[in-house]
Amino acid sequence: MKQNLIAEEKVFEELKKAVVETLRTEGNAITRDSSLIKDLGAESLDFLDINYRLEQAFGIKMARHFILEHIEEMFGEGSAIDENGQLTEKAVALLKMRYGDTYGDLAGGVDVDDVPSMITAGSMTEGVLEILDSLPEKCAHCGGSSWKTDDGTHIVCGACNEPAIFTSGDDLITSWLSSVQEEKKIF
Amino acid sequence: MMSEDFTDKIVLITGSSRGIGTAIARKFAGAGADIVLNYRKAGGSSQAQAEKLRDEILAMGRRALLVQADIASYESVKGLFRQTADAFGRLDALVLNAAKAPFKPIERLLERDLRALVDVNYLGNIFCIKEALPLLEKSRGSIVFISSLGSRFYNPAYPLGSMKAAMESVVRDCAETLSEKGISVNAVCGGIVKTDSFKVLRQYWEEIDHLPEKFFVEPDEIADTVLFLCGASSRGIRGQTVVVDRGLGNSLYRSKKK
Repeated sequence: MKQNLIAEEKVFEELKKAVVETLRTEGNAITRDSSLIKDLGAESLDFLDINYRLEQAFGIKMARHFILEHIEEMFGEGSAIDENGQLTEKAVALLKMRYGDTYGDLAGGVDVDDVPSMITAGSMTEGVLEILDSLPEKCAHCGGSSWKTDDGTHIVCGACNEPAIFTSGDDLITSWLSSVQEEKKIF
Repeated sequence: MMSEDFTDKIVLITGSSRGIGTAIARKFAGAGADIVLNYRKAGGSSQAQAEKLRDEILAMGRRALLVQADIASYESVKGLFRQTADAFGRLDALVLNAAKAPFKPIERLLERDLRALVDVNYLGNIFCIKEALPLLEKSRGSIVFISSLGSRFYNPAYPLGSMKAAMESVVRDCAETLSEKGISVNAVCGGIVKTDSFKVLRQYWEEIDHLPEKFFVEPDEIADTVLFLCGASSRGIRGQTVVVDRGLGNSLYRSKKK
């Protein structure tokens, strides 16, 4: 369910903190449009570090694998990335469906190596919010249905104080892909 | 511990912008060597860190050459050793430290991932050995490969382990074939080190946080062993993989107590 305990602004602040600690950059240089790779100099190992910090901050599990990897795993090698290392039309359609304009004017034929640089501070923030919005209706421990946060980043049960259990980033992506495939039969 | 003197020796360390590679470069520079640093990706955080390390080595009064090269590309490796030869005219030690791998169970890797795994972590190292040979023959130098416990134990989502195992076997073979040229070849198998790669491991293996602190190896401890294997005191060791893991691999039993 959509949660309203942690605002977008708070998530963005925590993301900035994670980026600053990982890349040792200036926090005020980071805007929602900043590309983590192009503008801030992040590399693949840095993403794991940033993800880890966000996981600790919010008690969530970020996606370990990008949506393109999930598409290929679910629908076969070549379904998202062709033999020349370029995005397929179907992959582009799925990316647009899921992320809207986050990735700018994405088109088939884009080199897959150029995709990660389209990840921005804003799109990472959205990713965290989506996971937070998987907050269950009821607490898995006591069945209580009130949630609260004491520190502003960790959501706990209002009755028993146990931490909320969110859906993982990877599970959110794969269940979204399954439902889109069910509905639209893309592959 | 007083390490051996490497004054005026030239040491090349692949993947030296981070973690263990950086520690090895510092240690060699501290022992008097001039250093060839290498990183893969231009324009990112690796380059920035490698440049900082180069400046640090220059400030120690040593020479340092920084070369961008992706060891998975044979052309790129040729360029790396051409630049080394042009700048220093010799090479005394090659440390094969660079590695890159996806974090997924091996059966879930796509064909592309599998080929990249082999390209970087197996072929890339062999390209480096081949290109280093003319220089190492002249200096009767050393090759040290950096392995990890993944070569012999299961780690979740760590397909790199199989490549480390393959390379330990390459080390044994090359040690024999290159011994007549006076080149020594050995490996150091590191335990769990708190470098960037550890941050990854932690994401797939949450229990790792319960591992007692005493088992975590310092990059410096691995570097010391690399220097030992490149020095004269290790002359009797050939084609071996020395495990530096603070005993983590010795015991199956772990007490529940921290």
